[in-house]
Amino acid sequence: MHREEYLADRQHRMSSRQTLLSIVLFLIVWELLSHFAPAMGVPAFAIPSLARIAQSLLTITPADVAVTLARVIGALVLSFVVGVLLAMAMYRSGGLESLLHPIVRLFMAVPVVSWILFAVLWFRGVEFRIGFVLMAVCGPVFLVDSLDAMRGVSRELRAMMRSFRPTTLQYFIKLMFPAIVPNLITSAKINLSLAIRVVTIAELVGAVTGIGHQLAVAQELFSVADVFAWTLVLVALLFLLEAAVTQVERRVLRWRT
Amino acid sequence: MADVSGPPPITVRELRKVFRQATSGQPVVAIAHLDLNIAPREVVAIVGQTGCGKSTFFDLMIGLEHPTSGSILVGGRTPYGDFDHFRGHIATVFQQDRLLPWRSALDNVQLPLELLGVAKAERRERSASWLRRLGLESFLNAYPHELSGGMRQRVAIARAFALQPRILLADEAFGHLDEVTAAELRETFLGLARECESTAILITHQLEEAISVGDRIVVFGKSAKLLADIPVARWDRSEYATLREAIQGTLQTDQTDARLIRS
Repeated sequence: MHREEYLADRQHRMSSRQTLLSIVLFLIVWELLSHFAPAMGVPAFAIPSLARIAQSLLTITPADVAVTLARVIGALVLSFVVGVLLAMAMYRSGGLESLLHPIVRLFMAVPVVSWILFAVLWFRGVEFRIGFVLMAVCGPVFLVDSLDAMRGVSRELRAMMRSFRPTTLQYFIKLMFPAIVPNLITSAKINLSLAIRVVTIAELVGAVTGIGHQLAVAQELFSVADVFAWTLVLVALLFLLEAAVTQVERRVLRWRT
Repeated sequence: MADVSGPPPITVRELRKVFRQATSGQPVVAIAHLDLNIAPREVVAIVGQTGCGKSTFFDLMIGLEHPTSGSILVGGRTPYGDFDHFRGHIATVFQQDRLLPWRSALDNVQLPLELLGVAKAERRERSASWLRRLGLESFLNAYPHELSGGMRQRVAIARAFALQPRILLADEAFGHLDEVTAAELRETFLGLARECESTAILITHQLEEAISVGDRIVVFGKSAKLLADIPVARWDRSEYATLREAIQGTLQTDQTDARLIRS
């Protein structure tokens, strides 16, 4: 093993150990708090013990996790496709760009809660409402990032490509799209954490399935242990999805290493 | 052009190109007035100082820009107006290799063939064979960042030749390489151009390069003024030093050196 590799490996192991240590510390403090809560005048249900949370974790319904996951992935894929296609159209046509640019800015300025209220007021179907909110939040991120990235593709590469006389479709498929993949992966990471947080709020309103709905139920039952358990699942889901995107990134961007 | 067997003649008539400066809006005359004929299969070296309009002429030849007035006709058609007509017939080697960093050497060479819709097996075979001819058989799957500058430029040359184009353009393609690599690649480029029976136009600022490759040397003054059009065959090898001095003098004074005028 080379010295740099050895040092990198040692650093990695040290940082993993530190992460584990901070988690264990947090759990110890939580457990102590749960024991002393009644003595401090805090009701016992407000800070449930780790055993109580573990019990709640056992009652997690995989169907709700799957539904939320499907909503997030579905909306992200749709936002990606619509965002990138619109960005390509705006890149090609200056007129379309000046027409759509203010609308996109407006979309990005609207708070998530307003989108949820609009969705409830405008649409009937629960799935459509959730999809609409997620796309309204994630779509503009993909659009703006890919448009910026396309403008950043070097003049030299664009001239080289054009010198071989591609069709418009070939120009985008062979040059523009691969050139902006690194930016798209970054946008996907940002949108992933955004979507996980937004989907939960959207599911709080009107949905009868999904993690957001289960959180609403837990809140109605004053079950902090359940809220804690579902939140843990949500965070784990985000980490898993991020790890999946990182795997894709490693594969797709191996030409950079 | 499919009905013509060899490369078509190139005719440049009263060509003028004026740009507007992006900041001030002031017009900049890149090419004031240019007349030039290039016969099929000729190898022409264009020399000129930086900012003389060589690269603008190149962009007009490729069809990336349109003339302000006058015309470039290639077999009676214009590279800008009949853009798609020239698909697969014009290939360019640029100053920098301009390889796509996410594609391997082999995939970079395949690019123009993909655009033409050549079948996968055939384009792989053709691309690999060009890379082999350029001495890169061990680097077919290497990414550009894994190759040296000279190797990357070889890939760029293979990419141009894989098309077997009728017109080859090289824009200071060997200028930034070390002298040994440049001389070797220049020779390879010329050999391949003659073998493919392509018309080749090379832009260079190196007089040695121009003299060693060109059937003709065209000297551009400011705003692409045609200062000299020199058929190299009329000069004996022993006179090359004089030729070089005369071109140098022409470039420095922006006036045709009397020694270049031969009947």
